[in-house]
Amino acid sequence: MNKTFISFLVFVGTLVGFHMGVFPIFTPKEPTWVINRYVYFLCIIATLIIVNIVLRLKPPISLNALVVWSLGFYFYKFILYPPIPWTLFITYMMLWSIGTFLFISQDEETFREFRKPIVKMIIGEYKLARIVVFAALPILVGFGTYKALIPKFQEPVELRTVHPAPPATTRVHGKTYTLETQKNPYRIDEQDKYQKSFPFLDADKQEYMKNVTEGGTVFFQNCHYCHGDQLNGLGMFSHVFNPTPANFVDPGTIAMLRESFLFWRVSKGGPGLPNESTPWSSAMPPWEEHLTTEQIWKVILFEYWYTGWHPRTFDDESSIVGVKE
Amino acid sequence: MKINKKSIGLLMLPLILLGVFFLPSTVFAAPQPPDGVKKDLLEKGKQVYFRRCVWCHGVEGGGDGPSAERLFTRPRNFIQGTFKIRRTDSGELPLEADLIRTVKNGLPGSAMPPWGEVLSEDEVIAVVNFVKTLVQDRSFDDTEDEEVNVQEFGQMPWSVDQGQIPGQKLYLGIPQADIDAGREVFIKNKCFECHGGEGRGDGNPTMKDDWGFPIVAADWQQCWNFRGSRRDPYNPFNIVRTISTGLNGTPMPNFKEQITVEDRWKLAAFVNSLCPRKKIDKLTNKPVTDFLISSLYTEGEVARSVDDPMWDTPDHDPNWVTKPKDYPGTLNRKHYIAMGGQITRGERNFKPKVDNLWVSSRWSPDEKAVYYMVEYHNRFLSQDSEYKDAVAIQWPGKLQDLYGAEKPYFIFGDSKKPVDIWKANFLAQDYSPTNPPNEKGYKLDVSVEEIVGHGYDALTAKETAPTVEVVDSIFKQGRVKILFRRSLETENKETDIQIPSESFIPVSFMQWSGRNKEKNETMAISTWVYTILEPPIPDSIYYMPPIMALIFIGLEGWLVWMTKRTRKMYAEGKAK
Repeated sequence: MNKTFISFLVFVGTLVGFHMGVFPIFTPKEPTWVINRYVYFLCIIATLIIVNIVLRLKPPISLNALVVWSLGFYFYKFILYPPIPWTLFITYMMLWSIGTFLFISQDEETFREFRKPIVKMIIGEYKLARIVVFAALPILVGFGTYKALIPKFQEPVELRTVHPAPPATTRVHGKTYTLETQKNPYRIDEQDKYQKSFPFLDADKQEYMKNVTEGGTVFFQNCHYCHGDQLNGLGMFSHVFNPTPANFVDPGTIAMLRESFLFWRVSKGGPGLPNESTPWSSAMPPWEEHLTTEQIWKVILFEYWYTGWHPRTFDDESSIVGVKE
Repeated sequence: MKINKKSIGLLMLPLILLGVFFLPSTVFAAPQPPDGVKKDLLEKGKQVYFRRCVWCHGVEGGGDGPSAERLFTRPRNFIQGTFKIRRTDSGELPLEADLIRTVKNGLPGSAMPPWGEVLSEDEVIAVVNFVKTLVQDRSFDDTEDEEVNVQEFGQMPWSVDQGQIPGQKLYLGIPQADIDAGREVFIKNKCFECHGGEGRGDGNPTMKDDWGFPIVAADWQQCWNFRGSRRDPYNPFNIVRTISTGLNGTPMPNFKEQITVEDRWKLAAFVNSLCPRKKIDKLTNKPVTDFLISSLYTEGEVARSVDDPMWDTPDHDPNWVTKPKDYPGTLNRKHYIAMGGQITRGERNFKPKVDNLWVSSRWSPDEKAVYYMVEYHNRFLSQDSEYKDAVAIQWPGKLQDLYGAEKPYFIFGDSKKPVDIWKANFLAQDYSPTNPPNEKGYKLDVSVEEIVGHGYDALTAKETAPTVEVVDSIFKQGRVKILFRRSLETENKETDIQIPSESFIPVSFMQWSGRNKEKNETMAISTWVYTILEPPIPDSIYYMPPIMALIFIGLEGWLVWMTKRTRKMYAEGKAK
């Protein structure tokens, strides 16, 4: 059998074998320094080189070019993680194709050698190859045209600002609050002291836990439908709404916000959002319609107690000494 | 080999041997004492319980936490020791492993979330042991009066096709003969008395659980809501287990004696075959909403009957499951629209009866009209003309005034951006919820309201001539189908939406269950999705591909000619 053909078979076989058999082993849930997808890719390359050397296959430059190009394709498509968007993929593959072309045209001789099988195919010295290629290409072109012409629709992508800038003041139940300075009136003690306390059971012994219990009661009568029993934004109606409800366990929500910001968001809800935050589809009620001011502060207190996060604080509350004014 | 009695006997021999081998373990499983309470874990379990569970299940485990009144189904009351999801015989206490599995996977279709991702293994075991101590009427430590018989369910007897959705199993390709046999078991055991003639849970409106709270039978066509479906909703095992053990505390009995294990698997195959295959979101355990409702371009007139083949849709999502070869229709899909209670403004609805709608659409340029078929499952309809059932399609009233992604407020619009609502109110004729399954279904008396919304408290009925029609409707075996029609353009440009083709139009849906006393803003609601009136497939699709292919063949010929000429020039020394 022709050595070039063997080399081609080795390439295809290695790639298929590795992808089906070895790839799952190298992509565990928690990759290590050795067992990861990039090491896996290097293994493929090493295998290909070693097999070709041991069998003395000496593949021609055109096959080498094919192998190099295909491995690039495989890398960007399956190995690189996280997966890249297709526009970026196209850009990378263009660069990779140019690189492959540079590799084959590095000097006159390699380029001629690369061209040789192609020319032979075109002028009909490789008869079967010419029939196959010349028949397949027009069919592919026709199919591509069909694909391009058939109408396809996808809903428009919508972007929104998750945490819009709050106003300076907000008016709730007839009283104006300055968000810059407003504190939670129920934060009467250090939260961490109560992490081992029991809601309900300790409510009559500890003032703080009484407030947490009342806040939790409000939460589990009103909020859990969207924000979830676990406060992770996966309540029983959460899948219905778009934008999806906030996940308070995530470090990107209440953990980086001030309590006064939450007070504003809870009181005014979806309708209180600016346009960049799509107020028209937010299912967050303006809670001032359903709850008292005290209940709103208590439910905020509860959310921090439950998740263990601390509200964000500024300057005078910080423990690091800064420049004195 | 000729088939004769002897060869059959030879074939049967290993089967019989196998049967003898497995029989004792399946039928005569030895009773064992219940899994006792691990006392050393109680302190830790209490800590977890009072942080995570108390809000629904209550301080003493009576299922009476603050959330209970506003939940359907209510949280479990632990005091009597009745647990739904078990592998033990009906009425018995569960295994510790059963409770652990329930806590870890949650109970789909209820408010019980999967705790496996939040709590550690140790915490789960600890809280399960604490919950055991909340059982007052029986005891997990009582080895004299309590025993548990662990059931064996055998293996799924088919090799199935798991489909193409990454990370999700579809359990397709169970032989039709077994599904049909399962249907026979379904009829013989009268499952329809509670679950309805087509399994939508519409059999019995008067059921109560052990504590006297109303309860409904499972809707088999929404298997992602099966309790104990272990985040693997299409697995027939879930059904086999429930049939075998019953659901303690509910009217669902066990059929361990009445139905053999083999037949239970067949019955499960039948039940399972009713559930449409969709991509199920891993986090919420619900199908993913189809955010784009495509309206199919239709030449000539659109059929005005809900039973017309024009309105046929395949059961499964065609993106993942190829349509059956004998599927007659041209409509490719119905779109899944998730619904939730309207819990945002005014009188809120915490216990909606409808969880989703399916919407399909066609439009006809010849008729200059668009049709929307809205269908949904509702177990029981209203008989009260004060509280009619209703479903509505909501549109932006002034599409031309919306900029970019801007839309009116999704609950009845807002003061600046009005909405146009097409609402169909209806009562079923000669209907009573206690009627036996009726294969013909019930005709509906429909009246259409067209409403302009400027907010939930600012709704006005249009005074202009009616433009929206409901051309056909039916309520059959727990499913409502309403076919809306409207011309694309109307004379009243002020408050009627004018529907353009080939552009994305926001649309949303609302639904009222009369039996649940839903009215006005007390309803189920969807978020904004989009619809598009698709253009026809261009004629060029038939002639352009061959033309392009021919051009390419010409190019190939030119390439050959050029290459040969160049070679000749080299050979003759004209080029170097």
